[in-house]
Amino acid sequence: MTEKEATAQGEAPEPTQPPPSGRKNAYNTTVDGGGGLVRVGAPPSPLTVLGRAAGTIWSVPKARVGLILLAVFVLAAVFAPLLAPYAPTDNSFARAEGGSPAHPLGTTTAGEDVLSQLIYGSRVSVLVGMVAGFGATLIAVLLGMSWGYTRGFAADVINFFVNLFLVIPGLPLMIVLAAYLQGGGLAMIIFVVVITGWAWGARVLRSQTQSLRSRDFITAAQFSGESSFRIVFREILPNMTSLITGSFFGAATAAILAESGLSFLGLGDTAMVSWGSMLFWAQNSNAILTGQWVLLFAPGLCIALLATSLTLINFGVDGLSNPRLREGKGR
Amino acid sequence: MTLLDVQDLSIVYEPHGAEPVTAVRGATFRLEQGEFVGLVGESGSGKSTLGFALTGLARAPARISSGRIAFDGTDIAHLDGEDLRRQRRGGFAMVLQSGMNALNPVRTIGNHFADIFAAHEHVPRGRRRDRAVELVEKVKLPASVLDRYPGELSGGMRQRVAIALAMSLDPRLLVFDEPTTALDVLVQRAVMETIIELQREENFTAILVSHDLGVVLESTARVLVMHEGVIVEDGPAARILQDPQDDYTKMLLSHYADPRAEVVELPGLRVAGSQISTTGEGPAGPGTDAAPSGGAKARTGRTREAVVLEGVGKVYPPPRRGEDPVVAVDDVSFTIEPGDALALVGASGSGKSTIAKLITGVERPTAGTVRLGETDVGSLRRAGLRRLRRDVQMVFQDPYSALNPLHSVEYTLMRPVVNFGGLRGLEARRRVLDLLDIVGLTPVEQFAAKLPHQLSGGQRQRVVIARALACDPQVIIADEPVSMLDVSLRAGVLALIEGLREQWGVSLLFITHDLLSARLVTDKILVLNRGRVVERGETAQVLRFPEDAYTVELLDAVPQPGRAAD
Amino acid sequence: MRYVLRKIGLLLLTLWAAVTLNFFLPRMMPGSPTDAAIAKLAQNGPVSPATRAAIEAQLGVPTGNIWDQYVTYLGNVLTLDFGVSYTFFPQSVSDLVLTALPWTLVMVGVVTIVAFVLGTLLGVLAAWKRGTFLDSLPTLTGTFTSAFPYFWTALLLLFFLGYVLQWFPTSGAYSARATPNLSAAFIADAAYHAVLPAVTILITSLGGWILGMRNTMINTLGDDYVTFAEANGLKPRAVALKYAARNAILPNLTGFGLALGGVVGGSLLVERVFNYPGVGYLLYNAVTNQDFPLMQALFLMITVSVLVANFIVDVLYGYLDPRTRR
Repeated sequence: MTEKEATAQGEAPEPTQPPPSGRKNAYNTTVDGGGGLVRVGAPPSPLTVLGRAAGTIWSVPKARVGLILLAVFVLAAVFAPLLAPYAPTDNSFARAEGGSPAHPLGTTTAGEDVLSQLIYGSRVSVLVGMVAGFGATLIAVLLGMSWGYTRGFAADVINFFVNLFLVIPGLPLMIVLAAYLQGGGLAMIIFVVVITGWAWGARVLRSQTQSLRSRDFITAAQFSGESSFRIVFREILPNMTSLITGSFFGAATAAILAESGLSFLGLGDTAMVSWGSMLFWAQNSNAILTGQWVLLFAPGLCIALLATSLTLINFGVDGLSNPRLREGKGR
Repeated sequence: MTLLDVQDLSIVYEPHGAEPVTAVRGATFRLEQGEFVGLVGESGSGKSTLGFALTGLARAPARISSGRIAFDGTDIAHLDGEDLRRQRRGGFAMVLQSGMNALNPVRTIGNHFADIFAAHEHVPRGRRRDRAVELVEKVKLPASVLDRYPGELSGGMRQRVAIALAMSLDPRLLVFDEPTTALDVLVQRAVMETIIELQREENFTAILVSHDLGVVLESTARVLVMHEGVIVEDGPAARILQDPQDDYTKMLLSHYADPRAEVVELPGLRVAGSQISTTGEGPAGPGTDAAPSGGAKARTGRTREAVVLEGVGKVYPPPRRGEDPVVAVDDVSFTIEPGDALALVGASGSGKSTIAKLITGVERPTAGTVRLGETDVGSLRRAGLRRLRRDVQMVFQDPYSALNPLHSVEYTLMRPVVNFGGLRGLEARRRVLDLLDIVGLTPVEQFAAKLPHQLSGGQRQRVVIARALACDPQVIIADEPVSMLDVSLRAGVLALIEGLREQWGVSLLFITHDLLSARLVTDKILVLNRGRVVERGETAQVLRFPEDAYTVELLDAVPQPGRAAD
Repeated sequence: MRYVLRKIGLLLLTLWAAVTLNFFLPRMMPGSPTDAAIAKLAQNGPVSPATRAAIEAQLGVPTGNIWDQYVTYLGNVLTLDFGVSYTFFPQSVSDLVLTALPWTLVMVGVVTIVAFVLGTLLGVLAAWKRGTFLDSLPTLTGTFTSAFPYFWTALLLLFFLGYVLQWFPTSGAYSARATPNLSAAFIADAAYHAVLPAVTILITSLGGWILGMRNTMINTLGDDYVTFAEANGLKPRAVALKYAARNAILPNLTGFGLALGGVVGGSLLVERVFNYPGVGYLLYNAVTNQDFPLMQALFLMITVSVLVANFIVDVLYGYLDPRTRR
C-alpha cells in the first residue's frame, strides 16, 4: 500500500502518518534526542541511515542468526594465522589420515592439514563475496539509477542489455571467460563474477528509482532548483538503502557460490587454498574412493553456511522495504 | 427488530515491534432491520476498523479485545473459520474503499459471481448466470460486463461490480467503507445515488463509513460520529444537523458551507459577495494548524508580471496504436494579472492539471503560447526552466508524497533558499525560520528539526507551502492543495493561502474539483470540461448563478449537510 | 496475438545479440585464441585450409576485416558449422554438441519443471499457513539447501548413495554395455542413471522456488481482492488458490525465467561430478583441454536453449495474464 492510499483510507490509529517501514524509533531518537541543537540543513547522513537499517535487521531473529554466522566466518578469515594450527600449504604430514588430536579433521592426500586449510579457505570466500558483491552492487546502483532516471531511447537500449545479461546463463559465461583468462588468479575470478553478477540488482534498483521519481518530492526538488545529480544522490539514493543492502548480500551470495564453482572446475588458481579448490583436489584425488568424507563434507558445508548467513540477513533486509514480509502470523 | 447489537466493543492494534494502540474504545449501539446509518470520523478515528470488525474481518494486527457483536442474536466477535463463513450468506457483507483493487485481475466478472455461488450454493446451478445478470443490472451495468476482466472496466464500474457481488450474498447488513472516496467527483455522486436507491428497494441494513460528514448527512437517516476511537454522537441526521451535542460534531459541521450562498463562512475565512477576508479567528484544532501569525515581510520590489495563455492546446499521441490522439487541452486562453487568484475547476480528465504542467514548463503546448510577462514558457530549455522556477512554484496535492521522508523540514526549505536566494550559512537558516513563522509552524526551531512523518497532514502541507514561498515567486500553482486533508484541516490551509496572497501579492492559480474551496480563495474562475473552457467570470457570480450544465453538476457534487433537510 | 508476435521479435533480437556476443568474446580476449587452437589442432596432423578458415571465422584473425569475418561467422552459425574439435578429433563440433544436448535437455528440463511446480506448491502452503510449522520447515530448509553449491550436493549424494550404499550408478547416463535406443529397457536404464543428478538439482533448486512463491504470495494475500473474497465467504481453499496463488504465480513465473540460467549453470557442474554425457560434461572437457571451438559452440547452444525456454515462459505468462491480451 502506498502512503497515499494509507492517507485516503485514513485508518492509522495515530494522529500522524505512521513512518514508512517501522523506522520510527530510530528516527525519534536521532531527531528528538538532538533537541534544538540541529546542524544547519543536515539531513540524516548515509551512515546514520545505514546504522538505522542495521538496527532493524538485527531485530529479526533469522537475520540475527545470519549476522552472527557471518561474523564467525569474517573473524576466522581475519585471524586465520592465529587460529589455524598449521600453514595451509604445509604438506609435511602423513597423507590421507583420518581425524586425530594433531589433525582433528585429518589430512589431505597431499599431506596437508584439513582444518588449517578450512580456516584459511574462508579468506578467499569472504574476500570474493565482499569485493565482488561490492563491485556488482556498484555497477547495479550506477546503471540502475541512471537507467531509472532517464527516459526514451537510451533507457530502452539499457533495458535490452540488462535483460540480455539477466537471461544469459551466468556460470557458463564465467566458465568461458575464465577459460580464456586462465592464470589470472583471484583478481580474474572477481572480475568475471562482477561482470556477470550485476544485472539483477540493476533491474531491481531501476524499478525502485522509477517509482520514486514519479513521487511529488522529486518534482518538488526540481522546483527547488536542484541539479539532476543532486536529485539522484540526495533525494533518491538514500531512499533505496534497504534495496541496495539487499542486492549487495544477494550479489555476495552469488559471488561466493560462483567462485567455489569455478575453483572446483580448476579454473581458478588451484595452488591457492580455497573451499572450492579443496573440493577440486578432493575430487581429483578420488577422496570418494578412499572414503575421506570429511574432505568432501567440510568445505561444502562452510560454503553453504556462509551463503546461508547472507540469505538470512536478507530476510531482515526484506522486512525493511516490504512491511508485509515482516515476521508474524498471517492468519 | 434489532439486527445488530454491539456492546462495549474495543479493538486494539498490536503492530509487530510497536506499542499497541486502542483503535476503538467501548463502542455500543444497536441497528434495526432496514436502517441506513452513517459512521463518520476523520483519519485515525477508528471508523474503518469498526466497520471491518462488524463484518467479521478484524485481522492481525487488529484484535477485538473486549465486548460483543450480536448479529441477529449470534455473537460474531468470537466466531471463527467455517462458522463465520456460513454466516456470510444472508448475513453481513462489505464493500471496500478501493473497489478498483477489490476484484481479482485474472478472473472475469462472471467468474467472481460463480465463485460466490459455488461457495454458498444458495442459487441453483441452472439459475446462476441469470442471477448474476440480475445483480449487475441492479447496479446499472449491462450484462456484458460479466465476460470482461476487471482491468477492462472503469473505476466507477468496478465499484458497482463490487456492490453487486456483495449483494449476491443476499446480505441483511451491508457495510460500505468509503465506497466513493477513490472515484472521480461526478462518478462519486452517481455511485452514491445507486447505493441509496438499492438500500431503499432491497431494504437491507446499511452502514456508510465515511470521512465526509456532508456526504453522510445527505444520504443517511442516522449518524454515528467517531473521534479518537470513541463514538461521540449518535442520533438522527436531521437532529445532528440542527442541534449537534458534541463539540467535535459542531466543529466538523462548521467546516461545511454552500458555495452558492451570498455569504460563505468557514472557521478563519469569510466570503461575502466577492469580498474575501481572513477572519483572524483560528480554526479549531491543534494549535499549530492555526492561521499564520502574520510575520510576513514586505515583498522585495521586483516587477510583477502576468501569466498569459493564448489559444493554448495540448494533444498527446494516442496511448495505443490505432487509437485517436488524446486532446487534453483545447484552445484555452486566460490571463492571471499580478496578485490575482484564478480558480481552474473541473472533474478529473478536464485538462486542469495539464494546464498546470504547461505553465510550469513541464510540458510544451502543441498550439498557442504560454507566457510569463515577456517569457515564452513553451520554448524554454534547461537553464531557462530553472530561471522560470524562481518565479513559478507549485503546491502539490498529496503532502505525504511531496516531502522526502528522509529529509528534515530545515533541509527541505534550505534547498530553494540556497539555490535561488543565494543565501548561505546563518543567513539562510534565518530565512528558513522566517518561512516557518510565515506558514504558522511555531515554535520554528522545533519544526525545523522535524522529519515529515512527525508532522500531521496539515502541517506537512504548510511545509510544502513554505517551500513554494522560499524563492519569493510571482506565481504559485496550487494543485488540489486541500483535497487529501481532513475536512477540519482544510480551512486553516486555505486561510493561509489566502493570507499569503493578500500580504505578499503572489498570483495564485488554484486548481480544484471542489467549488467550495474555489469560492473561498479566488476571485476569478474558469470551468473546464474535456479540455475546453465552458464557463468563466467572477467566482462569486459564476457559482451563485451558474449558466453551464456542467458547472451545475459540479456544484451539486459539493456535499452539503443541509441539503437533505430541505 | 500481438503480445506473442512482440515476444517473437524480442526473442530474435536477443538471439542475434547472444550470437554476436559469442562472436566478439574470443576476439576481445588477450592473446590469440585462434593461434592456440590451430597449434593444438596441428598436433593431430596437418590443418587443411578449410578447417583453418572455419576456426578463423569463429575465433578471429587479428589482421582480417572484422565485418567479413562477422558475415562468414553468421553463415556458419546458421548452418551449424562450428568446425572440428581437437579434443575429440576428428569429430565435428556440431556432432558432439547435438549428441550431448538431448541428455541435458531431457534430464535438466524435466527436473527443473518438477522442482518449480513442487516448490511453488510448497511456497503456497507456507504462505497460507504462515507462522506455523508448515511455513517454517520448508522456509528454513529451503534457505539452507538453496545455499548449497550444486557440485557439493552432487558429491555428497555420489558418495553416500553411490559409493557407500551403492543404490545408484555413480557415473554416466546409461550402462556401459547398452547402446542408446528407444526401447523400454534402455529408457529405464537411462532413468536409473539420471536419478542422482536429477535429485541433486531438485534439492538445490527447490528452496529458491519455495521462498520466491512464499514471498509473492504473502504480498498477494494482503491485496484487497483477497480480503474481498474472504468477506464474500469464499471457501479458504478457493481464496488461497484462485485468488492469492493465482496472482502470485505471475511474478514468480517471470522469476522462473530469469533464474533458469542459474539452474542450467549449476547442472553443468552436476554433470561433471557424475560424468553425465550432457553439454556440461562436454563443456568441462572443452575447457580443461582449451578446445575453444567446442567451448564457444557449447556456450552458444546453452544460451540459445535458455533464451528459448524464457520465450516459452513469456508466452505462458501471456496466456495466464489477461492484461497482456489487450
